[in-house]
Amino acid sequence: MTTHLTPPVLNELRRIVGDHGLITAANQLQTYECDGLTAFRIPPAAVLLPESTEQVQKIIRVCHRERIAFVARGSGTGLSGGALPTEGSIVLSLSRMNRILDIDIPNQQVTVQPGVINSNVTSAVSASGFFYAPDPSSQAVCSIGGNIAENAGGAHCLKYGFTVTHVLEMTVVLPDGELVTFGSKLPDAPGYDLAGVFVGSEGTLGIATEMTLRIMRKPETVQVILAAFDSISAAAQSVSDVIASGQLPAAMEIMDRLSIEAAELSVHPNYPACEALLLIELDGPQAEVDIQMSMVVNICRKNGAWETRLAIDEHARFLIWKGRKAAFAAAGRLSPNYIVQDGVIPRTALPAVLEKLNAMAAAENLRVTNVFHAGDGNLHPIVLYDRTHPGEEKRAIDLSLRILDVCVEAGGSITGEHGVGREKQCSMSYMFADPDLETMQRVRRAFDPHNLSNPEKLFPTPRICGERSRGAYAPHPVEASGIAEVF
Amino acid sequence: MFTLSAPKLQAITEELREILDGEFISPIEDGSISVLPGDTQQVSLILQYASRRRLTVDPRGGGTKLRWANGSVPHIRLGLSRLNRLLDHPWQDLTCTVQAGCTWTSLQQYLARHEQFIALDPLFADRATVGGILATNDSGSLRQRYGGLRDLVIGMTLVLSDGTIARTGGKVVKNVAGYDLSKLLTGSMGTLAVITEANFRLHALPQHTRVFTIGAPDATCLSRLIHILRESHLLMQALQIRRNKSEAHLDISLTSHPAAQQDELLSQMAQAEGLVLQEINEASCFIRDRPHAEGSTFVRISTLPVDVCAFVDQLQHVAQKIDIDSVSQAIGLHDVMFRGSGDEITKVIHNLSSGPSISVVMLEPGPDVDTQAFRVPAPVMSVMRAVKRSFDPDDILGPGKFFVTQ
Repeated sequence: MTTHLTPPVLNELRRIVGDHGLITAANQLQTYECDGLTAFRIPPAAVLLPESTEQVQKIIRVCHRERIAFVARGSGTGLSGGALPTEGSIVLSLSRMNRILDIDIPNQQVTVQPGVINSNVTSAVSASGFFYAPDPSSQAVCSIGGNIAENAGGAHCLKYGFTVTHVLEMTVVLPDGELVTFGSKLPDAPGYDLAGVFVGSEGTLGIATEMTLRIMRKPETVQVILAAFDSISAAAQSVSDVIASGQLPAAMEIMDRLSIEAAELSVHPNYPACEALLLIELDGPQAEVDIQMSMVVNICRKNGAWETRLAIDEHARFLIWKGRKAAFAAAGRLSPNYIVQDGVIPRTALPAVLEKLNAMAAAENLRVTNVFHAGDGNLHPIVLYDRTHPGEEKRAIDLSLRILDVCVEAGGSITGEHGVGREKQCSMSYMFADPDLETMQRVRRAFDPHNLSNPEKLFPTPRICGERSRGAYAPHPVEASGIAEVF
Repeated sequence: MFTLSAPKLQAITEELREILDGEFISPIEDGSISVLPGDTQQVSLILQYASRRRLTVDPRGGGTKLRWANGSVPHIRLGLSRLNRLLDHPWQDLTCTVQAGCTWTSLQQYLARHEQFIALDPLFADRATVGGILATNDSGSLRQRYGGLRDLVIGMTLVLSDGTIARTGGKVVKNVAGYDLSKLLTGSMGTLAVITEANFRLHALPQHTRVFTIGAPDATCLSRLIHILRESHLLMQALQIRRNKSEAHLDISLTSHPAAQQDELLSQMAQAEGLVLQEINEASCFIRDRPHAEGSTFVRISTLPVDVCAFVDQLQHVAQKIDIDSVSQAIGLHDVMFRGSGDEITKVIHNLSSGPSISVVMLEPGPDVDTQAFRVPAPVMSVMRAVKRSFDPDDILGPGKFFVTQ
């Protein structure tokens, strides 16, 4: 059982981080009461802003001794409520630990602190011809620590893999304050792959305070093709045919009519007006990409693409991607409120699932628009609604969760990259049977027997899954302003 | 750990008959009982039984790596060879579900019908099984391009020591729902649970593969070229260094389209370093099974990529009286085979293990070689123990492996 923060303990914490590293004023705590999932808000008891691994360790030791729950937070852009405080918990904001500690080009690795912004890793090695592959859409603002917690993906993980593929070594403060190193700068650390299970554990197994990341050689060339189709299934068939032809594009994305309209209203990417837009990015050696691109264009034409646009230089590529990247924020042009989901289905189930989804939306008299990572079957259905219409928000939330059920029924998953967090923890028991969840809990208990590290997340609990009211969804400020989108 | 008397063995055999047909239960010479369950359910019943009777169990696939991780003889050897089917291959989704006892080669043959494969080339592929390869986290030259098993396995069915059947991950490549137990199980040497099924992501078989090799008196002569290749845009599937007492070879597998003429580029790069590139017709250089002769000591060593060449050269000079063959991947993973005096080998491995930026895992000790399997810092070992206790509180799975009995 966790306890609450008492004045003497608060003073002890203050001595660790100093006055400038502690937030207790109610108006300042507000910033930390939610992350990108703004429908849920709980003010923390205090926020600590440690500046070193040592400080994090000291704080966690106090929390462990006093049985105080703690929640780690990076940039707060997460979309599933992973950084949502728990009643009475403290928040450890790692944003001040934002230094790049070492760049080792010959070994193709970079060591950073958790508060470093994702795109700053690429910036740091770009001049040497390298990049950091995981690229969640919020990459201009989200932090590496948060990426590790959520095992962040992005449009290019089809080819390059997820965060877990690119994290070599981590310094981790365990929930009892012990300091350990998971993984290794060398391939294959001996013993259990604890790094593998830590990445994506959503902050429930401890706090990573330093990490060595793999960087990759930038491709010689990048080309993007945009193709317009009369139906989603023709676009989806093209995706299947590209895969069947043995190619592995860097990204394959589909947008439906509604999302194309929204993008047009919002950032004017000058997309052709069509039922489905397919974007395929190829990268690699120049001659290789040229050959592959001609195959891709043929496949699209064969499936009825009536317009194809090829973008080779960086500016042209930027224009094509602009509409796609803004698609989610642009949903605000269609509707005052919306919910973004993150279900995954086997690629081949796409036409059947979309049909079902449209029928469900029609039955609820709600509009659902779709933008998705077609290459790996990661759907991002956006349920549009108006909160001022009585009962509509509840129906919208309900629909969005039933969409996840459909994904599970199709043999997929409730989340491809946003994580379970608070938002989807009740859907976990739809995807997994009790013995599966109980087996995961064995890991949890081994790391955190007192349930202090980001408690009440990820796993379904009777207390949370008993109550049905999920609160109101409001877009994150970063998302609404179009800096980042909900990918 | 207690050994079983003959009558006791007989009694256990009788009791196991309630779970399995007699033909699938047989005593073996080392004093354990071999059982061959036919499905996950039977695996669960056997483990429930073993748990109740506090009998140790070691899962077994093709038996190619039984001695890895230095386990002791279990009471029950749980053979998975009857679970050998490919259950599903939705090729358009580039995934498959396969039972743990399927051999790697036969699985790859099934997948090849659709020009697909699991991008991994483990040791002894014709006999080694999916479950055994996962449990030992084996890999080979394809690491260069596709990563290791942790990047390829997307789900599993497991049976815990108390008989609990659990599924983890799923059948889609992109999936972050819950803890990724497939990664925890990969390389766990059968100490946490028995893997009965696994789901993999697949890749298309490369349509154009050409293999080249470059010979040199030692690996250091090749190191500049390796550095250049690692930073080049060549589509390489493998970049491997073989070293023995007298020479070194660099093996390169190119998979680009012929029209891209990357072979020309490669040839020019080699020439600029004063090295001669030679095309070889078959890729047997990537099969690492050959040096695994009886009585040799097999060690897997990791170094930083930049240290690869200097390390394998140095290996040849550490001891005159032992024979050393190494096959290294440029990412920093070395398969090293020692032959000769057990004492000398023990000494060499001990010295290697204490160096900086190196890790040494003893996979198969030869005669009179006496070293611990591997070293991890105490705090990590304590997390490993906690995980082990949580999964297998009675310590019945994979006896003796990883953990020294306290």
